[in-house]
Order: sequence, then structure tokens, then C-alpha cells
Amino acid sequence: MPETAPPSGSARHLPMNGEDKTVVLSVVVEDGPNTLTKVTGVIRRRGFHVLSITVGPSHEPGRSRLILQIDHGHAEADQVRKQLERLVEVVEIEDLTGHDLHSRELVVAKVAPAALEGLLERGAKVLMSGKDTTTIEFSGEAADVGDFVDELARHGIVDVVRSGPVVMRRTA
Amino acid sequence: MVLEALEREGVEYIFGYPGGANLPIYQHLPEHPKLKHILVRHEQGAAHMADGYARACGKPGVVFATSGPGALNLVTGLCTAYMDSVPMIAITGQVNSTQVGRDAFQESDVIGATSSVTKHSYLVTKIDQLPRVIHEAFHIATTGRPGPVLIDICKDVQQADAERVTPERLQIPGYKLNGHVDLGHARQAARALAEAERPVILAGHGVLLSHAEAQLQELAEAAASPVGTTLLGIGAFPVKHPLSLHMTGFMGTGWNLKAVQDADLLMMVGMRVDDRVTARLAGFAPKVKTFIHIDIDGSEMGKNVRPHIELVADAKQALEAMLPHIDHLDAGRSTWLNQIDAWREEHPLRYKHSNGRLQPQDVLIEMYRRAHSRAIVVADVGQNQIWAALWWNYDRPGLFINSGGSGTMGFALPAALGAKFARPELPVWCVAGEGGFVMTAQELSVAVEHQLDVKIVLLNNFSLGMVRQFQDDFYGGVRSQVDLTHMPDFVKLAEAYGLPALRVEKFEDIAPAFDAAERTKGPFLIDFRIDPEANVYPIVPLGKSLNEFWEAPENA
Repeated sequence: MPETAPPSGSARHLPMNGEDKTVVLSVVVEDGPNTLTKVTGVIRRRGFHVLSITVGPSHEPGRSRLILQIDHGHAEADQVRKQLERLVEVVEIEDLTGHDLHSRELVVAKVAPAALEGLLERGAKVLMSGKDTTTIEFSGEAADVGDFVDELARHGIVDVVRSGPVVMRRTA
Repeated sequence: MVLEALEREGVEYIFGYPGGANLPIYQHLPEHPKLKHILVRHEQGAAHMADGYARACGKPGVVFATSGPGALNLVTGLCTAYMDSVPMIAITGQVNSTQVGRDAFQESDVIGATSSVTKHSYLVTKIDQLPRVIHEAFHIATTGRPGPVLIDICKDVQQADAERVTPERLQIPGYKLNGHVDLGHARQAARALAEAERPVILAGHGVLLSHAEAQLQELAEAAASPVGTTLLGIGAFPVKHPLSLHMTGFMGTGWNLKAVQDADLLMMVGMRVDDRVTARLAGFAPKVKTFIHIDIDGSEMGKNVRPHIELVADAKQALEAMLPHIDHLDAGRSTWLNQIDAWREEHPLRYKHSNGRLQPQDVLIEMYRRAHSRAIVVADVGQNQIWAALWWNYDRPGLFINSGGSGTMGFALPAALGAKFARPELPVWCVAGEGGFVMTAQELSVAVEHQLDVKIVLLNNFSLGMVRQFQDDFYGGVRSQVDLTHMPDFVKLAEAYGLPALRVEKFEDIAPAFDAAERTKGPFLIDFRIDPEANVYPIVPLGKSLNEFWEAPENA
């Protein structure tokens, strides 16, 4: 999805201190055939840039939640939220940039038997064992997931898919 | 169902063009004599007509077009309305819902093609959505910061039977209007304005949309603060008022630009602060210590200029909230106001009139002498637009209509016709260059068919004048593809369409031509063959700051 390399290699760290040009938004939208196009259309048109996007149903029927990591480019950081708020489909936006966050990403990978032991030590769980490969899952903070993927790469990845982050503010 | 809903919304005029995918709507149109349908000659004309209609009377303009090419021909008109915050409802036919996505005949992704130039859009695939959608669309188009809303209706929905349903109460949770003024910020803004040594107020289209002209004038007079307007804000403050700075921006008046660049406080009301207003952003208003920005659209805050005090609110309410905190300050401001008067003397608007060629400014001055503040002027885009903006002393709102943000050539003629439908009691003048005029000249048929009393002032310089001026001044003097000598004989063209016309080549013939136009009922065209070398001044060279403006040569 990104046209240029993300800011920090394979491990896309969520900015905890607002040092880079990334904003993190949790956006509740009305479900509809055009909603995602309109959201991404605004991002493209205003010169912002999607670093990651996670979409799933919200707890309210007819509404979904998007977690967006956006590079705000030459605009002020706040413009991303403000421009998205102009969309009628957008019901609510929480700007999570710079907040203390729970952030989880999920990796599902097929690995060769030789690699398995070290990955299980890191906390991977087996989903399915086959003759030549084992399918595992791992979830964690972006940095941990990045390290996990790096380790996979060292062993030669058979196949890997990685989600975007699912994020919530860290409050007691 | 569509037509009943439009009647319910109080629609009087529809500007449209039928085709395969909106036939079911047109089939029932004769049953609704209250809805007057104007058959345009091109869908772009419909969009601009609806736009001119909306700008002239404030009600949303309504457009019909069929699917595919019909709807896509609206795109430029939608963009024009979107950029200038004009309320509009575009109802487009779409192929049957069962055909969508199969590349059916005249199918196109209209929502996809228009979502970046509409405030909102709907694809209607089920009849039970329709009443709610139409009601919502009118609400969204006309409230907050207005804009065009497109409703794409599948053909099978148009012909579906349904019980007549009145729409339920509006439930648009994602559509939030900025209701209240932050009184603390209003007080802070008022205090800053009162305490500033060299304040300037700039008024944009938002002042007109919110009908805040009286509040603006009251505040400016109480604070003894000069007021300039943007191109679209013209009419928000009387040009002849002693505090008027006339138009700002990179083709604004010299005294305005001097004032903006020397101001220590700039209050921007109902405007986007775009590049045409700021010129080189880093050099914009360099001495300002306090930027105040009032706009109903919160996303405008800091989009181009970061304000120190922001009021996200309707302009009228914001100005009203500021008023009680301003005391009359005439005395304290005399140095600043005297300085501005001096700039006004030093940098007057001027033009050359000694070379024997017909000068466009002479045409406009004569027009103004006759029409004063009793006519609507609809300008096209280019030199004609800036001349019409600067050489006419607008002292009331709603009398100057033009495409400011989008800069759409071909806007003037259809928009002028729309304005005439909206305000039949007012004279309407269409000012256009020949380049833009031929882009939508087919709408002359509409003027003749409805005998619309619109006078067309063609400022014909046989070239794309603004582009030619830019090439001369900023692109090495290379005149590239700007020559328009091969154009129709406009008098004959007008006659072919069925309206009278005159050609004017000499100064002495200006007044008699206007006499003839004013004597004639119905449309009339005057082909003014103006000096092809006439330029727009002042102008800020591209990439320069406002204070680096060029003026017309003094002794020309």
C-alpha cells in the first residue's frame, strides 16, 4: 500500500512520542458500499499517505472501526482528523497519536520444521502441522511482530501474512 | 417518487438533460407542472446554470443527468460548485441495480468519479432508501458549509412502485454542524482586534453565505479596521466605503496588498486563505502578530495559515459574539488609516487608454455607470473576471458571481442564465472572454428559448488573454498556443442562435451599444473587440510575495 518505504523498516513502530509524521486514528464509520473508498480518497487527495489500515466491525451494528496509521505529509498533523471528519460516513474519530496504547498485530506464517523451535520459544502458537511445513500464529506489539518477522526471514519464509495494528488507549 | 420528493423540498427549477437511465423520471415530469424543467444543451451547462441559480437566490440548484457520459459531463460543474461552497443537488440516472458492475451500456462509476468534488453522494439501489436520501441530501447541501450533493439512482429504483412515504426525521450521526460560537475565543478575538495597531479584516464568501455583511460593517466601523475581500467575498463590504481595501490576493489592489503586508493583525472571515490570497505563503502578511480565523469548516483552521485565535462558527454568529467587546476606536487608528489612504493615492487602479484601442476597463466603467448596484454581473474566468471584479464598485452582496476556486472557463453564460431564472427582476450581465464563451456557447439556445433578458458582454481579445499575459511576464515571453484569431463571427453566431448582437471596436461606440442592448428585451450580445495587449494589473509575479506586485505602467 505505501508508495515509499515506511519509516522504520519492516517493523512499523507506532509513534509513542509524535516524533515522526505519523498520526494514529481510531475511526468509527457507517457501513456502506462507498465508505472505504471515500476514506481512502480523502487521504490520497489531501496528500496524506496510508501506512497501515485495519478494518473490522465495531460493537455497534452497521458501523465499522478503522485503525489508521497515516503519514500526514506537508499538512499539519491535525488535518488528517479534520478532513476525515468532513465525511458524512465518519461518525467518530479518536486521535491516538502520542497516547500510551495497547497495540497488537497478528502474524500467520508457514515455516519449515527447522525454524519451528525458536519461534515457539518466542511465543508462537501452532495452528496446523503438516509434513513439510507448520502453520503458526504470533501476536504482539508492532516491534515484537517486526522482530518475529525478521527471525522468520532468517530461516527462509515459506509464507507469511501480517495484519495492521489493532489499537486501544492504555487506561486502567 | 423523485419528483414528489423534490416538490416537497420546495424545488422550482430543474436544469437537466434526459437519457436512457433517467427516462422513468422524465416520463412523470409532465405530471408535475410546479417543477419547471430547463432543457440544457450540454450537462455541464446544467450544472453551471444550477450553480448560478443557487448563488443568485441562495436556494439549492437542482440538476438532472443520465448515466455515463451525462453524469460525467457534470463533473466540472460539480467541482466548480464544490470549490466555492455552492448548494446543489445532482440527480443522476444509473443503470439497473442488477446491471451495476457489468459494464452495461452507459454505465460509469459516478460516485467514484464525483466523490472528490461533492460534499456527499449516494448510490440508491432500493426504493425504500429514496425518500430519506433525498431529504438528507437537501439538508446536507444547504447547511453548514454548503456544497453539491449527488444522488445516483438506479433505473429500476426510479420505476419501482412504492407507497408514498414522507421521510422520517433526519438521522445523520456523522454529519455534525458547528452550532455554537466559543464566547471566550470571540472575546479574545475582539480584544486583539481592538488592541492591534494595524488591523486588517479580510472577508470571504462565507460572509455572503451567512448574510453577515451588516455585522461585518458594524464591527469594522466600531473597530475602525479596514476591510478587504477575497474574489468570492466581493459584495461583503461596500467598495466605496472609506474603510474598504477592495479585493485582496495576487491580483488585488495595491493599497490592499500594502495593508495586508504591513498589518500586525489579520482577521480572516469565511475564507479558505488559499494560494491566490496568500501568494508566496512564507511571505504572507509577515508582520502579523495575531491571525484570527473565522470559518464554519474546522478543517480550514491551519490548513494554510495557522491562526492564533480560531472561531469555528457561522460568520454572522461569530461577528455578533465579537461586537459587544469592541468599543469605538476611530481616534486611535488615524495613523494606520491615513497610511492606507496614502497607499490608495500612491497605488490607484489604472490602465492604459492612449493607444487608440478599445480598453476593457472602459467597457466595464460604462456598464457600471448604467447598471450601478442594480445588476448581477456574472463573469467567466481569466482577465475578464479580474477586470469585472476590480472595475465595478460592488456595494451590495450577491451581485458578482464567478468561479473563484475552480476557475472554470465556460462558467459565465450558463451561470448567468441560472441567475436570471433565480432573480428575474434584476438585470443580469454576463462578462466573458471569447475563449471561455465558446466552451459553453451552446446554451445561447436556452437564453433564446426562454427569452432570458441576459446581456452578454464579450471582451474579445482574439487570444487566451490571461495565459498570454503569464507567458509574456513569467514564461520568457514565449507566446504558445494562445492565439484565437480563428473564432466564429460572434455577431453571426448570435444571429444563428436567434439573438441580436452588435460589434464594437471604438470607444465612441460603447455607449450606443449598451443603449441598444438595454432597449432590447431578451438576450443580447455585444462583441467588444478589445486591445489584445490589455493586461490585468496589479499582479503578483508567480512565486513572489504580495508586496512584490506589479502595477500598470504609469504613463501608458
